[in-house]
Amino acid sequence: MASGSGRRGGLRLARILSGNVNSYLSSGAEKASTAAWRSTGQLSSAEIAPFGARSVSGQIVRNRLRSRMVAASKLRNVQVKAENSRGLWQPFTALLGDAPATKVDKKLIVTISSDKGLCGGINSTVVKYSRALVRLNALDHGPDDKPAVVYVIVGEKGKAQLQRDSKKLISLYFGEMRKQSVCFTQCSMMADEILKSNEYDAIQMVYNKFNSVVSFLPTVATLLSPQQLLAGNQELTGELDAYEIEGADTKEEVLQNLGEFQFACMMFNAMLENATSEMGAQMSAMENSTRNASDMLDSLTLTYNRSLQASITTELIDIISGAAALEG
Amino acid sequence: MSGAAAGAAAPYWRNAGMTYISYANTCAAMVRNCLKEPHKTKALNREQVYYKLQTYQEGEPQKPVVRETPPAPPLKKE
Repeated sequence: MASGSGRRGGLRLARILSGNVNSYLSSGAEKASTAAWRSTGQLSSAEIAPFGARSVSGQIVRNRLRSRMVAASKLRNVQVKAENSRGLWQPFTALLGDAPATKVDKKLIVTISSDKGLCGGINSTVVKYSRALVRLNALDHGPDDKPAVVYVIVGEKGKAQLQRDSKKLISLYFGEMRKQSVCFTQCSMMADEILKSNEYDAIQMVYNKFNSVVSFLPTVATLLSPQQLLAGNQELTGELDAYEIEGADTKEEVLQNLGEFQFACMMFNAMLENATSEMGAQMSAMENSTRNASDMLDSLTLTYNRSLQASITTELIDIISGAAALEG
Repeated sequence: MSGAAAGAAAPYWRNAGMTYISYANTCAAMVRNCLKEPHKTKALNREQVYYKLQTYQEGEPQKPVVRETPPAPPLKKE
């Protein structure tokens, strides 16, 4: 019919007008965009906006893949260190016990967080647990004029979150921990600083324990001060009596040394576990964001192509009806 | 939390104000210094420390202090 022949005429007219448009009228959006991309050859994204968009984001996706491999190898390194360091505190827990529900007068909460962002929710969970511990402590003691709980914050992200509402409770802040890789000397220096600047009855360290690349368990490690250990735990001190202590050290001396050393070991392990969790969370966050970005890119490309086809069809109809009007 | 238990004679390092941790680490540093060459620089490089410490007084952050070990001499090729 007239419209049919007019349409075919319009097609031929369109082909003459621009070579690119032809590809959109062939089958399907995918084929159209790739064919168009091939036909235009290598791209400078500036001039040819639709095809340029597709190739530039392909580049970004490839970059993310590469940084994922790098992150995986970094993760493996820290993970090995963290798992090896677990053997440091296990004998302590076997000997001295782990009592998270202790009610003491002075508590020190060490919140271990990361310096860098883009690591998912691990820092917010750690901060949430620390705040919960403070509230639990407040429940135990009722309102006091001097706070019975003091924060020691490790890591930029923790400080940013806790500074908002708990500024009065912060005692120390350690930053830029990961500039050199975590080593025992560093952790013991930090532990030393904390011990020297605060009087406490119990320390509770909040960190993310590494379970697997996708699972990090927020953990609270409780360390009692030597006086608490002596006072509270009768069977423990009974056990220690079974050992003969060489040298001039008394039991109190030994317990004090043990308590300090336990703090340094736990600090070391907690820093390593948190670092491993941070790397794992970064990896999964990057992976998720890459996948989301690719999905969004695909759906947007389809929408773009569809609307482009619609506008071209409209133009063609105009041309064809114009041509038909001229003829008829 | 400072000083010896009542009645017992404290070891010299505790009287000098060190904690057990600083005592143990000082001993470890001395042992590391006794190592022979390629192991020595490897060990010293492994135990590099850098961190920034900021104390808070009455809720206000004070000036941050950087604590770091001096960089170890570069690995000598033998």
